Amino acid sequence: MLFFLVGEALRDLRRGGRVAVSAVLLITLSLTALGAFWVLSLNLGRALVQWRDRFRVVVYLREEPPAGQVEGLLKKIEGVGGIQRLRYVSKGQALQALRRQIGGQASVVAELPANPLPASVEVTPAGEAMTPEGTRALIQRLSALAEVEEVQGGTAWVEWLAQLQGLLQAIGLSLGAVLALAAILTATTATTLVLHARREEMEIMRLVGASEMVIRLPLLLQGLIQGFVGAAMAVGGLYGAYRLALPTLEPLLSFTLGLPRAAFFAPAEIAVLVGGGGLLGALGGLMAKGERPA
Amino acid sequence: MIQLKSVSKVYRVGPVKVTALDGVSLEIEKGEFTVLAGPSGSGKTTLLRLLYRDEVPTEGEIRVAGFDVTGMRRSRIPHLRRAVGVVFQDAKLLPARNVYDNVAFVLRVLGTPRREITPRVMQTLKAVGISARAQALPAQLSQGEQQRAALARALIKEPALLLADEPTGNLDEAMAEEILYLLSDIWNRGTTILLATHRATLANQLKRRTLVLDGGRLLKDEA
Ligand SMILES: Nc1ncnc2c1ncn2[C@@H]1O[C@H](COP(=O)(O)OP(=O)(O)OP(=O)(O)O)[C@@H](O)[C@H]1O
Ligand SMILES: [Mg+2]
Repeated sequence: MLFFLVGEALRDLRRGGRVAVSAVLLITLSLTALGAFWVLSLNLGRALVQWRDRFRVVVYLREEPPAGQVEGLLKKIEGVGGIQRLRYVSKGQALQALRRQIGGQASVVAELPANPLPASVEVTPAGEAMTPEGTRALIQRLSALAEVEEVQGGTAWVEWLAQLQGLLQAIGLSLGAVLALAAILTATTATTLVLHARREEMEIMRLVGASEMVIRLPLLLQGLIQGFVGAAMAVGGLYGAYRLALPTLEPLLSFTLGLPRAAFFAPAEIAVLVGGGGLLGALGGLMAKGERPA
Repeated sequence: MIQLKSVSKVYRVGPVKVTALDGVSLEIEKGEFTVLAGPSGSGKTTLLRLLYRDEVPTEGEIRVAGFDVTGMRRSRIPHLRRAVGVVFQDAKLLPARNVYDNVAFVLRVLGTPRREITPRVMQTLKAVGISARAQALPAQLSQGEQQRAALARALIKEPALLLADEPTGNLDEAMAEEILYLLSDIWNRGTTILLATHRATLANQLKRRTLVLDGGRLLKDEA
């Protein structure tokens, strides 16, 4: 029975001919567009997570507190709320860090008459305060403290990334949706052609008492096959493009976004794409108008 | 096997109503060979189509092979169709498949186990005398051979009832006689048969119970 149903589905695909091929290509196209934007937004998302993780608000203090009061000051700062972690950096530590950073020119630092660097507290906002508004509010609360000279911590860059990701997702989704619609319609046309070619057969099937399931299932299957083939081609094409672009893309990514590696889809995400393809094809198969049984 | 109670069928073609059957009641027992006669347009085909629920009556009740045809749910229709074999004036064979595949097609769509298919098809083809042309395409067969293949297709699922609508309509007399002989043979093996024909001579010559329709009414019912 299974052999028969799959055999009929393959026969149907052949009967769908050029339209079936167009349906497959359109499914490929729509999933490629969707997938391309998805993979971009995926990598941006990873960059975002990394950036958010590294993100600090730096609170510069008016004066270096005496050693015994550091603890109390940190408590006070933490008291403003929305803070995950904080770390005190004394004037001395700041200078050491500067020395390490400039390395070879360390002698320049040695020649300074006095340590010009202020003491500071590095604040990592809590997850819920990580939004642009949350960060802005946090910065305001910190600035209001008497001990605080200045607060630094621009969220502009992270915000911009988040917006870019949103934009990519929107473009990808709308382009993918338009193409998916075209793909479904083409799959429907292909199936309708098959229905016409099969009219006699379906008539005989109904006459001899085949169940509707047996009559309709090959149609659904040929739609599914169209979808799977299209999806497989899309994933293959995207992977090929990814491998080709990798040598040029990776240095660029690590330079601009600080991402060491450009990621491709995980197996689960590939499964989603292939499943989506199957769904597109199957919908086409289901939506085809055949003459209904009497 | 077949019961009709006051069955009427009115076709609507736009604003026009065509009464194809008008208050027909009849009963046919299991194992009978009945002829349905009457002039062209008298409602024979309509009556047969009601029996395998290709159409639904406008009024009345129909029972066929234990099925309540008028009241049955759509999902039950395939079960009725499996119990009823149908052949038409034109054989309605699938042109792209050979005789063997046309007949095997039925068993395949009904989910018969694969190893049972070949022996059953060959046996049925033999029974209707066309096993030698199993590999031929319908277009390569004579009308009589096509009708035999169509009979094989109707009989392969071993229906309790065989409906034959003008099965000799396209055949010359000698071939028509062969098909009628074949039908008697099938009947002798226990299948109930209802044969529709507008040829009065044919109906008389068979010497079977004959139901005569005229203008959608049952005129005569004679043995
Ligand atoms: N689908 C239909 N729509 C409208 N009218 C129909 C339809 N089928 C049959 N009729 C009409 O119903 C009447 C009976 O037709 P039917 O085909 O049952 O006659 P018949 O006895 O089989 O004729 P024949 O011997 O020519 O095959 C005719 O007047 C016909 O025009
Ligand atoms: Mg007729």
